[in-house]
Amino acid sequence: MVLNPIQSMGRYSQLLFKAFGAVPEFGTYRKKLWEQMMRIGVDSMPIVMLAAAFSGAVTTVQTSYQLVSPLIPKSIIGSIVVPSMILELGAVVTGFILAGRVGARIAAELGTMRVTEQIDALEAMGLNSIGYLIVPRVIAGIVMFPVLYVAACFVGIGGGMMVGHLGGFVPIGEFVDGAREFFQPFDPIFGLIKSLVFGFTITSVSCFKGYYTAGGAEGVGRATTQAAVASCVFLLLADLILAATLL
Amino acid sequence: MRISNELKVGLTIITATVIFILGVRYFEDLPLFATTYDLSAEFDNAGGLIPGNTVRVNGVNVGSVNEVYISTETGKVEVKFHVDRNISVTEGAYAKVSGIDALGAVRLDLYLGPLDAPRIPEGGRVAVGDGNDIFGDITARAPEMLERVSSVLDGLDTVLLETGTMLSQPESDFRSTLRSVNGSVTELQSLLAAERNRISAILQNVEEATGSLKTLTSENGPAVSKLVEDLSVTIATLDRELVGLGQASRSLNVLLDKINNGEGTLGLLVNDPSMYHKMDSTLDGINMLVLDFKTNPGKYLGEMKLVDLF
Amino acid sequence: MISVKNLYKSFSGKEVLKGVDLDILEGETLAIIGRSGSGKSVLMKHIIGLLQPDSGSIMVDGVDINKVSYADLRSIRQHFGVLFQGGALFDSMNSFENVAFPLRTFTSMSESEVQRVVLECLGMVELPDVGAKMPSELSGGMQKRVALARAVALKPRYILYDEPTSGLDPETSNTIDELIQNLADQLNVTSIVVTHDMHSVLNIADKAAFVHDGRMHWTGTIADLHASTDQVLRSFVKANEYQIGV
Repeated sequence: MVLNPIQSMGRYSQLLFKAFGAVPEFGTYRKKLWEQMMRIGVDSMPIVMLAAAFSGAVTTVQTSYQLVSPLIPKSIIGSIVVPSMILELGAVVTGFILAGRVGARIAAELGTMRVTEQIDALEAMGLNSIGYLIVPRVIAGIVMFPVLYVAACFVGIGGGMMVGHLGGFVPIGEFVDGAREFFQPFDPIFGLIKSLVFGFTITSVSCFKGYYTAGGAEGVGRATTQAAVASCVFLLLADLILAATLL
Repeated sequence: MRISNELKVGLTIITATVIFILGVRYFEDLPLFATTYDLSAEFDNAGGLIPGNTVRVNGVNVGSVNEVYISTETGKVEVKFHVDRNISVTEGAYAKVSGIDALGAVRLDLYLGPLDAPRIPEGGRVAVGDGNDIFGDITARAPEMLERVSSVLDGLDTVLLETGTMLSQPESDFRSTLRSVNGSVTELQSLLAAERNRISAILQNVEEATGSLKTLTSENGPAVSKLVEDLSVTIATLDRELVGLGQASRSLNVLLDKINNGEGTLGLLVNDPSMYHKMDSTLDGINMLVLDFKTNPGKYLGEMKLVDLF
Repeated sequence: MISVKNLYKSFSGKEVLKGVDLDILEGETLAIIGRSGSGKSVLMKHIIGLLQPDSGSIMVDGVDINKVSYADLRSIRQHFGVLFQGGALFDSMNSFENVAFPLRTFTSMSESEVQRVVLECLGMVELPDVGAKMPSELSGGMQKRVALARAVALKPRYILYDEPTSGLDPETSNTIDELIQNLADQLNVTSIVVTHDMHSVLNIADKAAFVHDGRMHWTGTIADLHASTDQVLRSFVKANEYQIGV
């Protein structure tokens, strides 16, 4: 069954609406929430940190490579790397990694539960399957993404500083001076908002794809791929919208 | 012992929150643990100050600028900033914007008041320092100074022009003219010699001023400002001297002119060609008279006869 | 008592149910039979409200389950136990946790009580010592039995079986049939068995309802089934008897 985008949007909003309705049933998903926070947040920490450290380091190296004029102080590297990390890379790198890691897993889990009738079994028992399966994942995404974002920024900026220092591009003191010179207190707030929206986008889109899986093992595979791709696309869209409205 | 999910998740969230807060404070240039307090100041000109710029006391970073905006009530620039709570900003303190806008290195300098004065309360207003800093000074005075330099050069030009004109007057008595010019040059030379010390002093001052610019970061703003004032005064003096020089030259010129034109006793005695011409023509007349007498004695004798009749 | 009236349902334009009427009486064991794709599983999912009909009604104890709120529907569903085709055990939990899940979710039993009831249920399906095993470690038949234990944990008044014996060897099928019979006797539940396995129908059912071409083609007791002269029903029964070698 091929659904056109408008129908999909309708079903997606319907699912979100039902999920909102299920939020007050805290007892249903309390345990699951901790479990999902653990899986989405804590377990994703190493890969997010790794990617963030590399993107911070690469940004430093490339910025210093492009700064050839002796008139420009080296501290400019810090003024470029830190806001890049805070405004864009911290949230987007985390987002892309989690679209693959978390998004695909959510879709595969829920898709398998759908095709093996586990979701039906939950419903048949009298449980709110959306409340039990989707709400904890989306809340975990909303709560843990900003946490991962902070970790990514911390490690990314640290990585940039270390590479700048060890590679002889810019001493740490100058890096920090440059970063401070152009630091806007709203930037990290914007990053937090962004990561929160990304967390919501990735988890809700993946839940949607997984929850409405049809067509056996192949359907699960399709849902998984679609979840990762759709998460990335909507993440970029949300990125643009947020930048246009909040900056 | 198996750590529960709740504990792990909770610890992660708390750690992230702490890192976030400390990180933001770190890059905002706030002390990581001490608290800060907010102050504001009202400027006529913010000189490119933006939020995030540092606030310094005696060259030490103690805070940063939160907000810069044009007040709708007064139309002036309202600058809000915070400083470390340990810094005692007392009544009598004042703030100045300094640094070079073009290099992006603008900052707010805070000059603390007397230690025993009452502390300015949270959110209170800090006075604004009178007079701008060195660069503001230079910028403000540049047109004025250029005008002066220009007028000085104009004067010099006129003097040289007049000297030239004097030298190129062919009908003048050359020697005396040269002598006069010589005298005028000597006069100019002695004048310049007299001024030499002053000029070298000026140059020295300029040098010192440049040196001061270099050591700007060492917070010698007021001193440099004073130097510029000195420089300005010196140039003004130089200007006056040159105007005097010009006047002297002009007087000299007028004098020489008068001599040339044969005015005055000296001129008549030394330098009047008509005398010579008159004497010459008189001698010529006598000559012609003698020749005439030789050829026509009768004419003269007739005359003599007439004289004889008497 | 469950009564289905004039039920219509189509999926993407294809009509699956075309006006089904069915009454299920308290305490009986009804077999819903029919060919694969005849819509009997769809009918079963309508009975517990997992699917909404295009038109028609399903009354459970006098309440139209499609006209009540979601919360009320869920409390009605708690009177049902459902055994899904593949068992539908939660694969993130072991057998014990699977059976304990409805108890922990819907009752305020103490942990020791939960333990007692779970062991009782697992004993009922003759698998008292698989509690620690994950569903993936169990055979298909065992999974179904654990799923059955889970279905009866809350002492439901209705148990729905979706193809309980499909994909199982005849011996395991017999075991399942016996379990269904025992549960019906011991717990005095109303059982609805969706199946195409005539052998199982003859073993366990009081009544049979034959779904053909989206309609309720024939209903009656097992005795009537043998006596029926209906051609479509006869050919279905015969084909099945031949298949299982009765």
